[in-house]
Amino acid sequence: MTVTDQSQNSTPTRRSSAATGRKKSSGRLMIFGFLSPTLLILIFMVAYPIISLISYSFYNFSALNPHEGYKWVGLDNYTYLLSDKALWQRFIFTGKFVFVCVSLQMVIGIFVGYQLQKKFKGRDVIFTLLMMPMMLSPVVVGFLWRYMLNSEWGVVNYLISSLGLEKVLWLSQATPALFAAAAADTWMWTPFIILLATAAFRGIPETIYEAAEVDGASPAYKFFRLTLPMSAPVLFIALILRLIDSFKQYDLFFALTGGGPGSSTETVSFAVAKTAFNYFYTGEASALAVILLFIIIGLSMILVRHLNKMGEKY
Amino acid sequence: MKNSIRLLSTTSVSVIAAVLLGTSAQAETELTFVWHAGTCADALVEIAKDYPDKSVKLVPALVPYGPEWHNKIASEFAIQGDGFDFAMWDSQSTAEFAGGGHAVKLNDIFASSELLSAELFPAASISQYGEYPDNSGNFYGLPMNQDAYGMMYRRDLFEDPAEMAAFQEKYGRELAVPQTYQEAKEVAEFFTRPDEGLYGWGQMGGREYDFATTASNSFLWSFGGELYNPETYEVQGYLNSPASIDGVQAYVDMFNFAPPGSGSWGFDEVNAAFQQGQLAMAMQWFYFNGSNADPSVNKFAEGTAFGILPGAVGRDGMFRRQFSVGGQGMGINKYSKKLPELTAFMEWYFQPEQQKRYAAVCQTGLKAVLESDDWQGLNSYNAQFSTALQYLNDYWHLPQYPVLLDQLQEEISNAITGTKSVEEALTDAAKRHERTLERAGYEITRSDSTPEVPDQEITPVGTKEIIAVN
Repeated sequence: MTVTDQSQNSTPTRRSSAATGRKKSSGRLMIFGFLSPTLLILIFMVAYPIISLISYSFYNFSALNPHEGYKWVGLDNYTYLLSDKALWQRFIFTGKFVFVCVSLQMVIGIFVGYQLQKKFKGRDVIFTLLMMPMMLSPVVVGFLWRYMLNSEWGVVNYLISSLGLEKVLWLSQATPALFAAAAADTWMWTPFIILLATAAFRGIPETIYEAAEVDGASPAYKFFRLTLPMSAPVLFIALILRLIDSFKQYDLFFALTGGGPGSSTETVSFAVAKTAFNYFYTGEASALAVILLFIIIGLSMILVRHLNKMGEKY
Repeated sequence: MKNSIRLLSTTSVSVIAAVLLGTSAQAETELTFVWHAGTCADALVEIAKDYPDKSVKLVPALVPYGPEWHNKIASEFAIQGDGFDFAMWDSQSTAEFAGGGHAVKLNDIFASSELLSAELFPAASISQYGEYPDNSGNFYGLPMNQDAYGMMYRRDLFEDPAEMAAFQEKYGRELAVPQTYQEAKEVAEFFTRPDEGLYGWGQMGGREYDFATTASNSFLWSFGGELYNPETYEVQGYLNSPASIDGVQAYVDMFNFAPPGSGSWGFDEVNAAFQQGQLAMAMQWFYFNGSNADPSVNKFAEGTAFGILPGAVGRDGMFRRQFSVGGQGMGINKYSKKLPELTAFMEWYFQPEQQKRYAAVCQTGLKAVLESDDWQGLNSYNAQFSTALQYLNDYWHLPQYPVLLDQLQEEISNAITGTKSVEEALTDAAKRHERTLERAGYEITRSDSTPEVPDQEITPVGTKEIIAVN
């Protein structure tokens, strides 16, 4: 009886588990079916190039002279690069550049964005005009600033000398060249911060400010204790995007300084492009690109984790 | 009904015409070329409009002068693409592109063509712009656009009686176009008057491409220096030899008489400063003389004269005058599928009739034109150009040219800004060059000693007397 009972009882269970299994597998199939085009594109467009890049980095070869062959060198490209003082100088310069221009962009962008959330006549026109530099190509911006910063007939030195100050050799000395590049990048990309900051600020409900007003909060209190914390996730996304973008800045330097004077304004990305497409040291350039890729991925992971925590908080 | 039939027939005719036109447009052969944008590329396009075979159309793919020009050609070669059919590249790039197997060997075309041959061009020119390896007799480029480093100066200032008297009083000799860099330094110093917005000398020093190197090499060679020993591949002891240091130091010193910040200048800035009347003398490629002689471009054009760069008396007492070769050879993309059409075009283009038109604005490499009586009178600087050709020097006909160039550019730029002394910069450049050559598989044979004046060992030039040319 027991056995019969068991069999009688187990049949529907088995049936239901088989049905659940079928459902699950067909569900998985459907998910896989929906995901497969995207996965295929990702594999083809992202995974394959990254795997190729990593594999190239272990060879010594030139894409321009493939007949010279592919020589397996293991980690030699990495040890050569990481022992090269010049590369470390490029990392240091890139770090300085990122720090200076992203700081300036965030401070100016948040300040201007805060002003633009207020209602006043002509606000939209000013907003549109402020967005214009962002729409230009970095190479165009580079050439534009190159002419503006010309030591002899550039408009910047003209203004400086009309104030009775001494002209600055913007592009032929290392430190002024750093600030010149940061100024050009800030001019171009601050509008991006303004755009996101304005959007974030306008998203804060008006009632919160009204309540703060009733409680007698000062404008500074409202800005630092309400506006900034409540728009922090969006501002943080802006910061992440600018950090990553500034870190791989190449075209602006290409047009503005050519990496000079000496190699004082060569960013790491500049070195990658030069090694890959001027020297055609394809293996070495791949290794350098892998190093850069891992730095950017690492930096992004830290910042995204922080962003997630911030999302939970607000 | 009549109207409908008329409309239908008109439409049909239009469709048939469009199809036929479309077919004929498809049959048109487009010959794409890469070059840097400028007067000479424009001249080529203009002349090509008169090519008798109207089914062939020349399509320019122009880029700014500089690394992107080289990189555009090199990238296409790297993918073995036919994005262009022919290109004009720097003489030094021939080694890189021909050595990589990407350029068509022209000897085969010479053998099959009745109109094209190496003999159409001066032997030195075709060798400079197209031979690889050196002295091999294998040609990969034709001298499309010859060029040389030259000098332009304000004749109105040099011939001003007040200036002449003041110079005589200060330096005890006549004010004249300098024959040596030692003289040039004095003349430049004399005309350097920042309060009046006038400077004695203008030259390139920019970090980009070959701006600083081609200028500084002209000094280095004239003082008896060399970049390396092509027999032993030694660089240390040659590039940083005492004579090389003398030359580059003289180049760096000339920035004292140039507008502040000119250490980052390219040719555009030199031209602009000269055209604005800021410079009494300037080093510049002959390529730009056409625009600098044009009153609509240069407001001092009438007072502008063109000359040959000075030489120098080296530490061995010898006078040498050597400066950088410029210009480009024309090479053919091995992956082009239009070689017969391109060969036919070249056969037409390298005829005296077309080359004379070209020579009116740019510098031809065709012997028949260069040797013709009227060529020197075609403009105000061809006569000097023909003299300049005998003082040309070239460098690194090696596939590693882009790397060597970039390294020297960086170090010369360091010397200009004062980040390093000239000696330190050249020593560092020499070490980096040897590392690059060794990495590429060259075996460096060390000599027991290296010469103080390397030119005495490597293709010696020079005279005991100063030879005046301007």
